[in-house]
Amino acid sequence: MSVEVRNITKRFGSFVALDNVSLRINSGELVALLGPSGSGKTTLLRIIAGLEFPDPGSAQVLFYDDDVTHLPASQRKAGFAFQHYALFRHMTVFENVAFGLRVRPRDKRPAETEIRNRVEKLLRLVQLEPLGRRFPSQLSGGQRQRVALARALAVEPKVLLLDEPFGALDAQVRKELRRWLRRLHDEIHVTTLFVTHDQEEALEVADRVAIMREGRIEQIGTPEEIYEHPASPFILNFLGNVNLFQGRIHEGRVVIGGAEFQATNHVGAPNSGAVAYVRPHDIRLTREQTGQSSLAARILRVNAAGPVVQVELERLDDRSQFGVQLSREFSRQLNPQAGEQVFVELQNLRVFADDYSI
Amino acid sequence: MAGPAISRLTHRSHARHATHDPAWVQWTLTTVALLFLALFLFVPLAAVFTEAFRRGVEPYFAAFRNPDAISAIQLTLTTAAIAVPLNLVFGVAAAWAIAKFNFPGKSLLITLIDLPFAVSPVISGLIYVLMFGAQGWLGPWLADHDIKILFAVPGIVLATIFVTFPFVARELIPLMQAQGNDDEYAAITLGANAWQTFWRVTLPNIKWGLFYGVILCNARAMGEFGAVSVVSGHIRGLTNTMPLHIEILYNEYNFVAAFAVASLLALLALVTLALKTWIEWKHAATHGAEA
Repeated sequence: MSVEVRNITKRFGSFVALDNVSLRINSGELVALLGPSGSGKTTLLRIIAGLEFPDPGSAQVLFYDDDVTHLPASQRKAGFAFQHYALFRHMTVFENVAFGLRVRPRDKRPAETEIRNRVEKLLRLVQLEPLGRRFPSQLSGGQRQRVALARALAVEPKVLLLDEPFGALDAQVRKELRRWLRRLHDEIHVTTLFVTHDQEEALEVADRVAIMREGRIEQIGTPEEIYEHPASPFILNFLGNVNLFQGRIHEGRVVIGGAEFQATNHVGAPNSGAVAYVRPHDIRLTREQTGQSSLAARILRVNAAGPVVQVELERLDDRSQFGVQLSREFSRQLNPQAGEQVFVELQNLRVFADDYSI
Repeated sequence: MAGPAISRLTHRSHARHATHDPAWVQWTLTTVALLFLALFLFVPLAAVFTEAFRRGVEPYFAAFRNPDAISAIQLTLTTAAIAVPLNLVFGVAAAWAIAKFNFPGKSLLITLIDLPFAVSPVISGLIYVLMFGAQGWLGPWLADHDIKILFAVPGIVLATIFVTFPFVARELIPLMQAQGNDDEYAAITLGANAWQTFWRVTLPNIKWGLFYGVILCNARAMGEFGAVSVVSGHIRGLTNTMPLHIEILYNEYNFVAAFAVASLLALLALVTLALKTWIEWKHAATHGAEA
């Protein structure tokens, strides 16, 4: 019981949008497709919906073990929500939601009272019950996207496909709506795949996250797995701020400048050039040098506006710059000042061989 | 809503708005524009009606009882009744293809749609003479099979279709391109077939643009002179449309009748203008709420 794509390749002219992608979404699961623009995530979504077709070959799209690869979109029963909602502007909210039921062939079309009941139930589900007689132009962006979701759910889709559903909304509404989406999903458990380029959104909402890059899925796993064990520097970079330190791998440890650090994981040959990636909150600041495992640096700037204190530093040996996040409490104790010299200890180093391209 | 309040304040403090010109510039430009309109639009329009009623109401209506006039009006209506629906279908099909799909030769098709606007109507008529005339490419074959196109109703209809082809398509292409395909995709994923998608989603989305295109197309179909004049042959009671009939009456110094029939065309223009304004107002009302 799942939605699955196998060996999907799609070329637009000489551009390879998808390069032999396979992905399985378990029944009732909420999966995020995360990636920068042009990574192929929307194309994959549209292929699953049947709005785009994969290049012929061994490509397969399976809905609950039914092969739908050659089925047109109108017969797949995949609910689709668009970034700009695509509501029918000449119909009321009620009629928008009822559309999927009304276009059914006569023998499969529910009776008018049944349609009415189902639409009202869906409007209740998306908390828009009183707005059924409004037109889309009379709704806010967040309300419109909820109508679009109700409309997609009306046809009892086998899978719900959301293409950057909150991409056109402002930050505050985005946050509210993605939590609402999570609660809705916990309530109705419809198998869902949603596309986003916002890593925060993906990590917060999804059961599993698939990160795409240049037409391939680079890593797939739970948000925690992805955050704790990123498979590549690309993913590290994409998931948020990260500092780079050039160094060498030596007997399982990383040598950076004159200091040695324990690596959390490493990829690449021993005794070769390597890059260590360290998140800003995994760097400790001290005033005294603590043995072999600290680097000397000078503070460039301190920014205390926000939930954490951001400190920008410059290494004394090679003048490379990096950023550190301190808790407000620790910052009060240490009281860092711009211009002073401190020592930094790196923790949780993720080391990749130097030739690993980003 | 701080905008209006601020501009009112600045007016009160006599600060000049960046886009406000001095009063004398505003007045001069407005007067020039109004004078121009009066001279080139209102005066001729008034002249048409004055001339038509110069000898009173009775001769005016007598002009419409003339069998040739009735036949000309009938022919004009018939021509429009054939040309406008055909161009509606062609226009929607062409706009649909251009706006929703990518195919080789698309830009060529767009250029071809504009061709009737670019070519002088007389040339358009001459093309038909070259094709269907006695010395034309298809002339002998048509004569052998006893099919009359030139100097007959089919030629007039063909020329009218050609000249009025761009109106609907040109109106719809930018509209459909701006709307994109998402609405149609949404309908399809909801289980609608192509036919349902067109009637329930695409057509309602373009209805005002389509209506606008159709009334312009109709106005031109009824008023077309050049191309029709070349292919018609000016046979009274048979191949004279209203504009051709007016020309004949005028050349025979039958001014009252000429202007009477002309007033009918002028009325058509006024109705078209009124409809056009109403559509634009209606369109702005539905779209203004959306923004």
